[in-house]
Amino acid sequence: MCSAMCQGLKSPVRRLANLRRAKHISTSIVHNETILVKNNDDFVNKVMNNDKPVIVNFHAEWCEPCKILTPKLKELIEPLNNLDLAIVDVEENADLVHTFEVKAVPAVIAVKNGLIVDKFIGLVDADMINSLIDRMSGKKKDEA
Amino acid sequence: MSIAMNFMELCPHKSTCSRFGKPRPNLRLHSVAGEMMKPAGEDGAYDYDLAVIGGGSGGLACAKEAVNQGARVAVLDYVTPSPQGTKWGLGGTCVNVGCIPKKLMHQAALLGESIHEAVAYGWQVPALDQIKINWAALTESVQNHIKSVNWVTRVDLRDKKIDYINGLGEFKDPHTIIATMKNGSKKELTAKNILIAVGGRPHYPDIPGAIEYCISSDDIFSLGHPPGKTLVVGAGYIGLECAGFLNSLGFPATVLIRSVPLRGFDQQMAQMVTNEMESKGVKLQHKCVPLSVEKLETGQLKAKWLNTETQEQSEDVFDTVLIATGRYALTKQLNLDAAGVNCLSESGKVIAETEQTNVPHIYAVGDVLEGRPELTPVAIHAGRLLARRLFGGSTQLMDYDNVATTVFTPLEYGCVGLSEETAVQRHGADNIEVYHAYYKPTEFFIPQRNIRNCYLKAVARREQPQRVLGLHFVGPVAGEVIQGFAAAIKCGITMEQLMNTVGIHPTVAEEFTRLNITKRSGKDPNPASCCS
Repeated sequence: MCSAMCQGLKSPVRRLANLRRAKHISTSIVHNETILVKNNDDFVNKVMNNDKPVIVNFHAEWCEPCKILTPKLKELIEPLNNLDLAIVDVEENADLVHTFEVKAVPAVIAVKNGLIVDKFIGLVDADMINSLIDRMSGKKKDEA
Repeated sequence: MSIAMNFMELCPHKSTCSRFGKPRPNLRLHSVAGEMMKPAGEDGAYDYDLAVIGGGSGGLACAKEAVNQGARVAVLDYVTPSPQGTKWGLGGTCVNVGCIPKKLMHQAALLGESIHEAVAYGWQVPALDQIKINWAALTESVQNHIKSVNWVTRVDLRDKKIDYINGLGEFKDPHTIIATMKNGSKKELTAKNILIAVGGRPHYPDIPGAIEYCISSDDIFSLGHPPGKTLVVGAGYIGLECAGFLNSLGFPATVLIRSVPLRGFDQQMAQMVTNEMESKGVKLQHKCVPLSVEKLETGQLKAKWLNTETQEQSEDVFDTVLIATGRYALTKQLNLDAAGVNCLSESGKVIAETEQTNVPHIYAVGDVLEGRPELTPVAIHAGRLLARRLFGGSTQLMDYDNVATTVFTPLEYGCVGLSEETAVQRHGADNIEVYHAYYKPTEFFIPQRNIRNCYLKAVARREQPQRVLGLHFVGPVAGEVIQGFAAAIKCGITMEQLMNTVGIHPTVAEEFTRLNITKRSGKDPNPASCCS
């Protein structure tokens, strides 16, 4: 799982990561509102450079399981103020889809401090979603 | 730089990761020596080793196989909107307005029939008479599926590093293509080899109202409103399949048949198919040609047609008129003159026996080819073999004979090999033996489904070992039944081998192993009972 991410992260995200180092961009998101990623800049600014961990949901309008997962993620994450949710429409963000090697939707990656720390594909059960959210919102002990 | 390195250190799977530090295998090494084989990079002269015009079944299959063989490939795809304004994404006719949505709607129709049959089996279905189709929900599901396929196709091209250009391609010179994008901008590209895989589009008859008011198969699968009472003009497989599922979904259908239904197919089997459709309520108007279509104040369409035998004119009012009078190849807009390609037939298709045109580096595959079955698997297979010949050193040619196919009318017709007429024409009636039988699918008894048109036959050489020339089957899941037999025909199966094959019971496919009555004997081909 992680290996696939590493490969995908090598060049384009290196650029994204460099951008992050080059200038500090303060995030001006209202807490708890879901981030709608419209382009690469949005992603760098609001996800990679976010002080809080972000759950990134790759979504497609034509995908039935996405229509179940995305609202569920919104419902679980919006009330939290130490975790953000970003939605990437795969039709509008071909670059990001390519970078993160998203081959099927729904796909969820968890980003903390600009690094990918988890990923799952497909509609997973509520337990997995909840445990991912717990981990990301800091309920686990160390970050390794 | 350091961020990326930190990440690699952090990755817990680093030690087992196959993607770490291993360079991608140099695919170019697979290219076999030969004057065609130099990658464009070394040659320097062309942008690509292969440019494919048309991102459909044939074009994409060839492009992907070419990349496997180490070539640099670009694919151009563009959909000119239909007269009614319908357009679609990457994938070609099959994915967007052909096989895929057709099969899904056929399935929807069959499921509707199943709900009614279920009652006979004991299912308690509430308000059976209120069961009806929600057209919007059906088209939404179908279109969602199509969009997912479009997306996966695009992602696949990107992953394989095939350049995808969403523009209409035409030739500037034998090695240069100009792609015109939707916004009018143009892009030029050069390629060492070019593949014409542009397929075709529905042909509209030259009658008043055709283009203005009528739809075609381009539009039906995404029609924004329920089609209602529909007139289908044309009785090829597209017309019959559409009339079939529309009727089963609850939209009354009438079909205008100019000459014969399923022209080119075995006519006895075609008759079975249309008999079944009529028994289900589809109205067939034989020997009729459309005269005009006009729009009434109500928004409905009044269609007039002429019976060419009786010279009688008729008319009726419909909600939708669907034109299915054939398809034409999209070669005109390619500006083939600029490339020097001159091997077109009268109908505009490309004559290319081994997919190579008169210009050695320009090829054609798929529906655009003259005299070849217009089927997705044919295009895919031919495209792949072509790529292997171009870039992999292969010499294998496409075998266009004995290609199995199926017409997905409510009662399906599957066949492989020669029709009875063609066999008689080629070998003479005395040299042909036809084994035939009516059969009764077990599942039909309980709901008392019509078995009158459940029929199959094997057309074989008369002299021993009686090699089978063609197999024909009308019945449920005909496609599934015939597929395996296509492989048998390829192996040269004989009647003796077929008859010595033990059937699977109870199935409908086993009927092929039970064939024993010849047409010549005059014996009754109706079954006494099952298992005897």
